[in-house]
Amino acid sequence: MSQREARFNQTVLVDTTPMPDHIPKVEEIGATSAPLMSAAYFIGDRCKAFNDDFMKCKDEANGRGEIDCLKEGRKVTRCAASVIKDINTHCLDQFKAHWECLENNNHQLWECRRPEMQLNTCVFDKLGLKKTLPGAPENQVPVHLRPKQKYAQYPGPQW
Amino acid sequence: MTGSSISLQVLHQLITATMPQDMPPTGGYAQVQYKRNLPARGFKPGYYMIGMHLIMAYGFYKYFHGVREQRELAREKMWSRLHLTPLLQAEEDRDQVRRYYADKAREKELLGTESKIYNSDRFVRPTFAYTPSNLTQ
Repeated sequence: MSQREARFNQTVLVDTTPMPDHIPKVEEIGATSAPLMSAAYFIGDRCKAFNDDFMKCKDEANGRGEIDCLKEGRKVTRCAASVIKDINTHCLDQFKAHWECLENNNHQLWECRRPEMQLNTCVFDKLGLKKTLPGAPENQVPVHLRPKQKYAQYPGPQW
Repeated sequence: MTGSSISLQVLHQLITATMPQDMPPTGGYAQVQYKRNLPARGFKPGYYMIGMHLIMAYGFYKYFHGVREQRELAREKMWSRLHLTPLLQAEEDRDQVRRYYADKAREKELLGTESKIYNSDRFVRPTFAYTPSNLTQ
């Protein structure tokens, strides 16, 4: 991700050779930015162990993490895909409302507190995943639970 | 010095009677009108100072609260990305590895050998990408 993808301005030329057979297949997450952002905290909640494992593997692989950490990477992707799948089966309406709101509001989370609240309660009830903000000051209400959002277009009570 | 001279006293009387000296008029000069008798407009200046500080205090109060909220919003955004980073990185790595093995297989097919370009065990992202002859669908 640190480098730019090779692009050709005249034709679409992408090496489409499939992965060799000795590497297990995994289906890519296939979600765009808004659904991913909407589900990010739930992915982080359920897949924290896998994520940390993968990042630790990459950190300790001494520059060979791309090849050596494929197994951990597959676990990360499978876990995230399971979260998306569960949200889709149980809270599809709320999820869709929230990520469409994000899509329409430049991915600004503070504009979409009402759908987010509905999504959070639904996901917590059905899946038990909770959105938490690590490192937030403890004497304040976490920003995603504040009814008033100072920077929203409508700054009054959001729900 | 007698005979043709007059006494000083007489001379003085003569001069004062005919040539008045440049002196204030009797009873003194009239008052010069330098004061303007305009009513003072508005409040005392100090009140404006206090008012300005009150307005500024209110502004800073709102500003600090806004900054605090901005900091929390930034934290929220950062963590949403942090939770996704391993997922995105894994996908990208898999793509790179796929291309890497494809390059190796192509080299084997063309040259019959597998050579290392860099004197390093690290994974080096290739500078030049293979361009297929056919358009990618």
